[in-house]
Amino acid sequence: MSELSVNHLLGIKYLKEQDIQLIFETADHFKEVINRSIKKVPSLRDINIANIFFENSTRTKLSFELAEKRLSADVINFSAGQSSVKKGETLIDTVNNILSMKVDMVVMRHPNPGAGIFLSRHVKAAIINAGDGAHEHPTQALLDSFSIREKFGDVAGKNVVIVGDILHSRVALSNIFALKLLGANVKVCGPKTLIPKYIESLGVEVETNLRKALNWCDVANMLRIQNERLDISYFPTTREYTQQYGVNKALLNSLDKEIVIMHPGPINRGVEITSDVADSKQSIILNQVENGVAIRMAVIYLLAAKIK
Amino acid sequence: MNILLKSAIIVDSSNKALHLKKRDILIKDGSIISIASKIDTPANTKEIKLKNLHVSIGWFDSSVSFGEPGYEERETIANGIATAAKSGFTDLVLNPSSTPVPDTSSDIVFLKNAAQNKGVNLYPLGCLTNDAKGESLAELFDMKNAGAVGFYDAKHPISNPNLLKIALQYTESFEGLVYSYPLDKKIAGKGIVNEGTVSTKLGLKGIPALAEELQIARDLFILEYAGGKLHIPTISTANGVKLIADAKKKGLNVSCSVAIHNLIFDDTVLHDFDSNYKVMPPLRTNKDCKALVKGVKDGIIDFVTSDHTPINIENKKVEFDNADYGTTGLESAFGSLNLLFGLEKTIELLTKGRERYGLETLKFKEGEKAFITLFNPEETFIFKREESVSTSKNSAFIGKELKGKAYGIIANNEVLF
Repeated sequence: MSELSVNHLLGIKYLKEQDIQLIFETADHFKEVINRSIKKVPSLRDINIANIFFENSTRTKLSFELAEKRLSADVINFSAGQSSVKKGETLIDTVNNILSMKVDMVVMRHPNPGAGIFLSRHVKAAIINAGDGAHEHPTQALLDSFSIREKFGDVAGKNVVIVGDILHSRVALSNIFALKLLGANVKVCGPKTLIPKYIESLGVEVETNLRKALNWCDVANMLRIQNERLDISYFPTTREYTQQYGVNKALLNSLDKEIVIMHPGPINRGVEITSDVADSKQSIILNQVENGVAIRMAVIYLLAAKIK
Repeated sequence: MNILLKSAIIVDSSNKALHLKKRDILIKDGSIISIASKIDTPANTKEIKLKNLHVSIGWFDSSVSFGEPGYEERETIANGIATAAKSGFTDLVLNPSSTPVPDTSSDIVFLKNAAQNKGVNLYPLGCLTNDAKGESLAELFDMKNAGAVGFYDAKHPISNPNLLKIALQYTESFEGLVYSYPLDKKIAGKGIVNEGTVSTKLGLKGIPALAEELQIARDLFILEYAGGKLHIPTISTANGVKLIADAKKKGLNVSCSVAIHNLIFDDTVLHDFDSNYKVMPPLRTNKDCKALVKGVKDGIIDFVTSDHTPINIENKKVEFDNADYGTTGLESAFGSLNLLFGLEKTIELLTKGRERYGLETLKFKEGEKAFITLFNPEETFIFKREESVSTSKNSAFIGKELKGKAYGIIANNEVLF
């Protein structure tokens, strides 16, 4: 397969396994590029990309921007804070105004689930979903699976546990779809209040005991408690959450095997993982960040090929 | 006006002598004068001859919303009535969902006047509480005298159980019908669709079936204690049907309805975030749809409704989270029910319910007032956005194949097509 089966990246659930493999193979190449002394290729000199962020983001926005620039695309950035969205403009109007300036591709983060899908139906541009509410964050899941593949050689057959706030997490959902598509075994772990009641319908198991989950897994993907999304208290205190679901070095050392620790960031040090775990040799958190650029270069490159 | 309906097949399962018989029907000054195998057209008589013409007593819908006053861009009363007439409805119960809400007798009089001389009978509901805030009872007796046929805070659940108790007790003496919307707001939280596999996959906040079940269970306990006459509008869950079946067995004075779209669509249609499927109560699972259909067949669910809710495009063509709830339904009601239940049951469903609201019941016989729906049950068509006459085009049925189309109505001495 030499091209993607989709014209937009709206979510992992719209991809086929071959799409993910193609993205990984392309990212392998770009990872080599970004480790050269000249980290830039002229592939997308005639492509204009708008990064439209209706929600705050630091690392995802930087990672996309860097990926776009290393492909030599022209980039404009837009965030809702400075925009006419606050004056009541609709999403379609906002984006169409930007597209009138001859933009080919939109990278969008938005607080509402399905916003990318809605946009893809109403505007003429390739859309990359950089996170839509609690729905999907496909490039994060791709870079997570890519990092597991890099560490173990393959994702198939690996045991992966996702720990933390699954209920409000687009990262969890996209990771579940990607890992299942690639043949991994997946468990989710956290207080029952933060796990969707019907999550098992996605082919994952629920484990509320962290030690049991960690003893089972090869990889633990630790999620942040998204305090900004919690409308009521799902657990009494952060302290008590950490007592049950925080990973510290003592716990890690007491396990039967050496597991890999991942985290999509930003980390709340001392809550979901302690500093000595985040900075340990078992952690591949910074590799994830580096791989994020390569994966996003691959996605942009492959979608741009479909525009031409 | 004199009208002669030629070769019309009468659908009226309560009248064995006429049911499914082809007859000519003569109507004079708004009354049925003669029903016979062949009637020659008298002078000054409008003859109506239509392909595969079927007739029944006029159809009744217990839950429609228009936009007047306050949301005229969605649907005026005049256009709503025209849409209903074209769709075969002669009698409508109007939800109190306007702005300002109708919570006084003068508001009810305004709505009655706005519908006057337009053919279709419009029966407004008044708010149960002032401003529909759920705090203090509105002047229910006064509104009833002005023409309100029931009391409802238009999809706002009654949070305070004591208020429902008092409302049921207070209205018992004048047989007021009290509505309680089946949703526990605390359990529903910020949910916007059914909680289940689909909401999990789509990352949309879910409303558990529990939110409906708890509220219905609570309301039935209160009804048993307080007496009165309770209506639970638009239920959506399998357990909701069960709870109401048990209450009816006990002899409680309760009725309920279901929206046609909740019978037909399950929540899997939400897969691409189409906001025309964003409705309240939400589309539930296939298991719920089946239980609701069975509830209708068994007579546990008293009536089906279009729950016609026009929403202007500005509030639908937006991100799913930001879209308003509701689908239009009058125009697709017959074609969709007919597919689901077949002709006889569909006509039975579309013509029942008036008694619950204390309205005059209609009969298809000589000497009775002519409130008649004209239709062709065999016409198959794709329901198209551009052919919809409702001002708002937010229909969950757009693009769907339906079977059965109304020609129009004869009501209040007028012919409306």
